[in-house]
Amino acid sequence: MLDTLLPILIFASLALAVIGAWRRVRLWRQGRSAPVDLLKGLAAMPRRYLVDLHHVVARDKVMSNTHVATAGGFVAAAVLMVLVHGLGLAEGVLGWVLLAASATMFVGSCFVARRRRNPPARLSKGPWMRLPKSLMAFSLSIFAITLPAVGLLPDGFVEGSGSWVLALALCAVLVWGLGEMVFGMTWGGPMKHAFAGALHLAFHRRPERFSTKGGEGNRSTGLKALNLDDRQAPLGVETPSDFTWNQLLGFDACVQCGRCEAVCPAFAAGQPLNPKKLIQDMVVGMAGGSDAHYAGSPHPSQALGGKPVGEHRGSPDGPIVAREGKALVDADTLWSCTTCRACVEECPMMIEHVDAIVDMRRFLTLEHGNTPNKGAEVLDNLIATDNPGGFDPGARMHWAADLELPLMRDRQQADVLLWLGDGAYDMRNQRTLRALVKVLRAADVDFAVLGNEERDSGDVARRLGDEATFQSLAKRNIATLSQYRFQRILTCDPHSFHVLGNEYGELGGHYAVCHHSTYIAELYDAGRLHFKPWKGGSVTYHDPCYLGRYNGEFEAPRNVLRALGIEVAEMERSGFRSRCCGGGGGAPITDIPGKQRIPDMRMGDVRETGAELVAVGCPQCTAMLEGVVDASAEVRDIAELVADALIAAPASTGERSQTQEAQAAEVL
Amino acid sequence: MSEILRRDPRKEWIARNRLHPQHLEVLAELGRSAGQGAASEWVGPHGLVRRNPHVVGFMGPNGLKRIDRSGVQQGAGGGRAAKAAAQSKPLVEIESPAFLVTVVPDMAGGRLTGHDRDLLGLARQLADADPAAPGAVLAVIFGDHKEDGFAEAGIDRLLHLDGPEVEGFAPEARLGALVAVENAWTPRHWLIPDSKLGGADLGRRLAARLGERPATGVWQLEASDEADLGWSCTARGAAGSLDIQRPLPRFALALAECAEPVSDTRHAASELTLPQALPARLSRIEDLGQVAVDPAGVALSEAEFILSAGNGVRDWDGFHHAAEVLGATEGASRVAVDDGFMARNRQVGATGTWVTARVYVAVGISGAIQHLQGIQSCDKVVAINMDPGCDMIKRADLAVIGDSAKVLEALVALVEQAREEKRNAA
Amino acid sequence: MQPDTHAIEGLAVTVLVSVGRHPVTGRSRRADQDARGVELARSLPGADIGLLHAGRLDAGNEAALRGYLGMGFDALTLIEQPENSDALPALAEALKAAPPQLVITGERAEQGEGSGLLPYLLAERLGWPLVSGLAAVEDVSAGVATVLQALPRGQRRRLKVRLPAILTVDAAAPAPRQSAFGPAQRGRLEVNEAPVAADVELAEWQFNPARKRPKRLKIVKAASARDRFKAAAAKAEGGGGQVLTDVTAEQGAEAVYKLLKEEGVLR
Repeated sequence: MLDTLLPILIFASLALAVIGAWRRVRLWRQGRSAPVDLLKGLAAMPRRYLVDLHHVVARDKVMSNTHVATAGGFVAAAVLMVLVHGLGLAEGVLGWVLLAASATMFVGSCFVARRRRNPPARLSKGPWMRLPKSLMAFSLSIFAITLPAVGLLPDGFVEGSGSWVLALALCAVLVWGLGEMVFGMTWGGPMKHAFAGALHLAFHRRPERFSTKGGEGNRSTGLKALNLDDRQAPLGVETPSDFTWNQLLGFDACVQCGRCEAVCPAFAAGQPLNPKKLIQDMVVGMAGGSDAHYAGSPHPSQALGGKPVGEHRGSPDGPIVAREGKALVDADTLWSCTTCRACVEECPMMIEHVDAIVDMRRFLTLEHGNTPNKGAEVLDNLIATDNPGGFDPGARMHWAADLELPLMRDRQQADVLLWLGDGAYDMRNQRTLRALVKVLRAADVDFAVLGNEERDSGDVARRLGDEATFQSLAKRNIATLSQYRFQRILTCDPHSFHVLGNEYGELGGHYAVCHHSTYIAELYDAGRLHFKPWKGGSVTYHDPCYLGRYNGEFEAPRNVLRALGIEVAEMERSGFRSRCCGGGGGAPITDIPGKQRIPDMRMGDVRETGAELVAVGCPQCTAMLEGVVDASAEVRDIAELVADALIAAPASTGERSQTQEAQAAEVL
Repeated sequence: MSEILRRDPRKEWIARNRLHPQHLEVLAELGRSAGQGAASEWVGPHGLVRRNPHVVGFMGPNGLKRIDRSGVQQGAGGGRAAKAAAQSKPLVEIESPAFLVTVVPDMAGGRLTGHDRDLLGLARQLADADPAAPGAVLAVIFGDHKEDGFAEAGIDRLLHLDGPEVEGFAPEARLGALVAVENAWTPRHWLIPDSKLGGADLGRRLAARLGERPATGVWQLEASDEADLGWSCTARGAAGSLDIQRPLPRFALALAECAEPVSDTRHAASELTLPQALPARLSRIEDLGQVAVDPAGVALSEAEFILSAGNGVRDWDGFHHAAEVLGATEGASRVAVDDGFMARNRQVGATGTWVTARVYVAVGISGAIQHLQGIQSCDKVVAINMDPGCDMIKRADLAVIGDSAKVLEALVALVEQAREEKRNAA
Repeated sequence: MQPDTHAIEGLAVTVLVSVGRHPVTGRSRRADQDARGVELARSLPGADIGLLHAGRLDAGNEAALRGYLGMGFDALTLIEQPENSDALPALAEALKAAPPQLVITGERAEQGEGSGLLPYLLAERLGWPLVSGLAAVEDVSAGVATVLQALPRGQRRRLKVRLPAILTVDAAAPAPRQSAFGPAQRGRLEVNEAPVAADVELAEWQFNPARKRPKRLKIVKAASARDRFKAAAAKAEGGGGQVLTDVTAEQGAEAVYKLLKEEGVLR
């Protein structure tokens, strides 16, 4: 009897799964079109899954092994099940392999079950809690029905012993297993992540993120430009169907592991943002309905009683953010993001949260004109004065009146173009800039500045969603830069670094940009800088998001500190897991209230290391961390530390550099 | 009281004789007339100035006596002398003026404002330009007033229009009156303060009604042969970004400090009346009176007096009370805002609001660099702080080291006491 | 601010808008007070708002005018006029042709003469009452508007004015909403022709960038030699700040009180 029942069950579930898949694909196809090479993507998918995805998953060894066992076992078992029980090819080794696969899967599912016994807060509950049981049901029932097939049990053992009840029970368990694993995969159970995830990897909107046989993938962190000349093109994302189809697919791939939630600084600060919930809200919007079934931890403010789950609802063509009242997501949620990319970095499914958030912000700013708090003022300033503070563009160089910085306009060319950034108006950052100039002069670097011709890089405007102002600033900056000849651009502002290096390219500006820590490390390695030994206390280093996660520069700053004789006492969250200072993405401008401030938490991290000084490499980080009251550590930019430690070259290098040293001393 | 100085030789003698039993009493009595505790200086019986060096000076903060020889300490006591000086200014009377220069002062609070006096100074320039044919300055004032210095301000003729219809905000009635003035005397010049206190509005109404194109935002006047009226003026235009050189028209709305106020002469300030009574008219604008406004609600960027709180403030009730009594707009440092004691729109600094207050009182603010940037354009900064080493103290024009709550309390007491005295005096 | 505002069906409001000039960079933008006027109009429930501008249409001006459209309008009526012409007749004709209940505008332009006369001349021509320097419109009902007029130092005065009326807006009125790029790009500029009246007088004036006005010197009119000497030898103000340490709270307060008194900020 099982011989007739099993193929029916298997093929019925496969057929249902195909129908489900078609329905799911239709949901994704509501999105806008996007240029994706389908075949190439599908071909690259296994490698993306096995290499890149597992690279992220493997950060948690136990879960990684669990997933290998469970998923690997499942894929093998499912394929073999079709062959052995669906097509009756039970002979030989196939049956034994199927037994081994289902056994492996069972072992994996035991680990899944153990994890689910006392799950951390970041994991979603609800249907996810039944997943280990479903996995076991599938693997055990497959194992059991395969035993007779390989001859371990006599044929007809189950029926033959007359135990119809046992046979029916086995079938029931198998139906449960097939239902969850095959039917549920495309109809929206927890296993949806496998189906959507696989396609998401194949059709990812940033294929360059993935490694190829030729080499590592790049970080691909630059935002994609809007086409402003096309009057018909929507400005940003108003409704779920305004996302591109592969973005919608990406949302559907979410496995609700909550790693994003665990690293999100806004979530930790109690601001109304939970990246996981946001992605799930997008899924809700795509399918239509309310967020009542969401089974993860809510937004912090929901936990505080502010926004209970179930009050927000959306539809594919309904607004995501309502002008008044509630829709799918509240505007506060979108404005809480610091664009630190910690969530993207941690996401095992490679979902692009920040892109989605900025897309939705673009609509709020460009169509609603609803940038909160000081956002509107900052954008107006950027439009009218080319800097966010509304300062006179002619006063950009006032801080350096005594430094006689060479201007590009006079020199026309230089090895290094020093990009000052808007920090030139900030009294604190001017200290860093002075230090950097001193270092450059000490190393006899041929550099020049744009002076008053420089404008804001457009970083803040772009993160606040004002693509029009960003492009206007960027195009004018590119026009200015095109007049001069230089090898590369040096800046002490990672935000400018990122925008100039990664986002101007799409608008026609291609530059070699480097951060001052990278450049100082190079100068030191080239023997052009000499430092006296470090005499201060212990030091820790805070990785700026836009330098580290955005641009992968983790080592150079540490090399510089090492060269200074500093042993860095690392914070628990450092490197690619560094916690944001709270200064990115216009977050200090939109200023969404939370329970605590992000920089306070970061200074708490610093305190835990016992460091007396925290070295930074970003004006935003400096401002945010220095704004912490009763901080345990002093905040210094790397350039300042280097400038303080400069000494003349040892006698062998001759007198020339000593005169430079004297010059450099006059700078400060 | 008679202005004649009566001398009592006996008292003066006692005042000089320190051993006389009544010495202190008499000294105090003589001193009172000078408005201070005891007289340090008086005219002796032979016309010589007598001094009592013991009452000069004040106790310094260290308990030592300090003598300030700059004259500031004694300057205040010259009530009688000032009055006498006013008396001694030459009286200028213009019997038959060649023309009239009409000024319509704002009279905010019933007194001539500084702006009004500047305008009267300008009016005198116009009137006195040709000594052969001097003009007269006519001031038109509306409603009740408390001013008694019209003569010293340079007014030859005064038209005082009183009545319920011109009280408060009554642009239509006042406009009617000014049109009547124009019809009655046809002044050669009209000068009106270009001020938010009413002049800017009334002046433009008048010019529009009479169909004359006025000069607005005038701040400088020069004699010019080319102009019809013999004067050219410099006026601010385009929201203060342009200077416009043009001939002075009959109507001019002038800015504050357009001229020096009259200080050397006295004028007749003789009352005029309109030849005809004003026609009654129906007003389409009804004044419902001033609305009580909470100074704390004034936008920070507009406020001219800010009391700002920082991390060092513990007694928030006391702080709010102080702001209310002082009539100051409340500000806050970033920390005070982050800690939830103050609203976000109260934050002062580079990341909050850039303020332009004339006086900025920082209470318990250490002075983070962003905060100091935000108060760059404040004229006077007062710091009240426990920590004498903080950056705010370095920026402050006056710094008081001490418990801010107590200092504020004492300040509130002082202000209330001063108000009380003023009320009793009035 | 307006709890008891009655919705007036089709309250026709025309906001006169001009091309502003940024005070720091001089770039053209929506004029601050006019934008506040638009915001004020938008706060009136049931208002049917039209935007009206008279002036030259060029790239810079268009960008600035689109700034108003970005506040959520489909169209702006533009009466084309050459530079330095008198916009009054054109505006008066347009308003006479389709008289609204309320005309709202800023107090003065940020470019050109900027005398702030235009609303007064319009009021005179149309024979309408005018209220200047508004901070808010509290209520419009039964042909009467209740408004709050801004006085210096944040004070307010409540007025009632019979409609139709012209209202000018002070810088104390609520800040204008953000101008959104999308609606600004999509909005229409409806260009109308109108007779041009040249401003002959203006053409004869000299325009220069504003000079910094000299700070008024404290002239000491001293009767005696001693006073004159004292004035001449007086220590220059400023320099290092005075720091009072080890004083009682009362002494400290006394010093602060004196300074506040000198600065005249105590009322």
